Amino acid sequence: MKIVVLSGKGGTGKTTISTNLAINTKNAILIDTDVEEPNSHIFMKPEIEDTISVTKDYPKVDIEKCTLCGKCGEFCRYNAILPAKNKVLIFKEICHDCGGCQLVCPTGAIKYEKREIGNIYCGTSKYGVKMKYGDLNVGEVSGVKIIENLKELVENEELVIIDAPPGTSCSTVAAVEGADYAVIVSEPTPFGVSDMKMVVEMLRNMNIDFGVIVNKAGLGDDEIYEYCDEENIEILQQIPFDLEIAKLYASGSILSHEIENYREKFELILNKIKK
Amino acid sequence: MDINEIVIISGKGGTGKTTLVSSMVPFLKDVVIADCDVDAPDLNILFGNEIREEEDFVGLQRAQINDDMCMKCGQCYDKCKFDAISEDIVLDTGKCEGCGVCEYVCPVNAIEMKDFVIGKIFVSDTKYGDMVHARLIPGEEASGKLVAQVRKKAKEIAILKGAKNIIIDGSPGIACNVISSVTGVNQVIIVIEPTLSGLHDLKKVHEMVKRFRLSEYIVINKYDMSKVELQKIEDYCEKEKLKIILKIPFNKKLVEAITKKTIPSLYDSEFFKDIGFEKFLLSLK
Repeated sequence: MKIVVLSGKGGTGKTTISTNLAINTKNAILIDTDVEEPNSHIFMKPEIEDTISVTKDYPKVDIEKCTLCGKCGEFCRYNAILPAKNKVLIFKEICHDCGGCQLVCPTGAIKYEKREIGNIYCGTSKYGVKMKYGDLNVGEVSGVKIIENLKELVENEELVIIDAPPGTSCSTVAAVEGADYAVIVSEPTPFGVSDMKMVVEMLRNMNIDFGVIVNKAGLGDDEIYEYCDEENIEILQQIPFDLEIAKLYASGSILSHEIENYREKFELILNKIKK
Repeated sequence: MDINEIVIISGKGGTGKTTLVSSMVPFLKDVVIADCDVDAPDLNILFGNEIREEEDFVGLQRAQINDDMCMKCGQCYDKCKFDAISEDIVLDTGKCEGCGVCEYVCPVNAIEMKDFVIGKIFVSDTKYGDMVHARLIPGEEASGKLVAQVRKKAKEIAILKGAKNIIIDGSPGIACNVISSVTGVNQVIIVIEPTLSGLHDLKKVHEMVKRFRLSEYIVINKYDMSKVELQKIEDYCEKEKLKIILKIPFNKKLVEAITKKTIPSLYDSEFFKDIGFEKFLLSLK
């Protein structure tokens, strides 16, 4: 079973929920797909056993063979390859690696080389749970490939918990794709509800079953409850707003490890999901 | 005329970008607001939603397969690197990145690249000036392009109306949409919270911003939440010569303002006076 934890709005508690679910579930493996700003490892404190480099291809022009005909530049829809007066400029970061320039080159002057866009770290958390997280290199425009690789690595695992990136764009979709169940973590504020609505729209389009955890309950207003009621969305659990919890988070501690009765709360969530 | 473009980003989500942006707006004269958090736009909640203009945004082209002409030779399936075409030649629109390779290799011209709408751009009237905002269709890519278009529109309005400032609400992360919101601005403000993950995320987003050689400032939100983590962040900022220009203590009233859909700096003006908000705004000039 694959359970994805997502939110729309940033900072609502995706990582808090993912890490707590992971340490309270037998045989779970956690993957952090928020590759732009991964945080799960800060809480899980894994010992890294394996590092996998994630690469993308980019074109390299053999200037001896190149006739500067300009066909590659004309074809590329991303403006990643630009024939100039006496050489061909390549903008590696914006290349989508579609293979088009090589295909249209009449003299076979284009070859592909690999470059690293980030890494995947695999290890075992100090809480005994296995985890993997991706980390996109600074300056790269898309982490989708790292997310896809992360998911391939856990293809055959029994229970996978996926910490997703915020928002609803392509990287979130890559993280959510193929999940059996989605947990939306939201907060009871107009921003939380507005961003959550976009997530609900996305999940419904993808036909993925979901429920909501209301984090920082008591801090805002009732709009989220009214919305969930109207839309028939199940509220799986609530975590109250509490400065003590915020302080535990600040120091990189895991809530249910520090406060006993939260363990039950997270076990309850899992039982509800498994049904 | 020079237009001062200020962008507020954060690396980590939920640290208070929108709270800060909305609080700054009433104090900035001649301003155009640009909400570039296109897959979680929220400024319109506080500034009302009086949409004046609305247009579709075509972010890319995507393949369209004409089944009547297709002879299922499989060349497009072979050559597509995005797994967007299945073995029986059916297109998965979501996976198509619009490269045009399939169109090129098709021997019978059964594939054509067609414009694809990935979102909407809006211009709204607010009490404080025009606001350009957008909405990415959930699941779409090319959000960087949508951000660039929102900024272009904001700049056109600023030039037309003689506005001196553009304030940009950015998105979390460090990838295309964030790079696109930072490119070519004058000032970058990074909002962070004193947590272990906050520091980790600050380092990454700062590495990204550093490449642009811009004026870069730090605002620490809820700075009183952890003394230990605050110290670590201050040490890091000192080492990197990053100027901390505002520190905001935790204040439940700011959340209250948001739930009442009002601007925090107007809802609790005393508080903003006490934290030196005016001085902060002056330092951006």
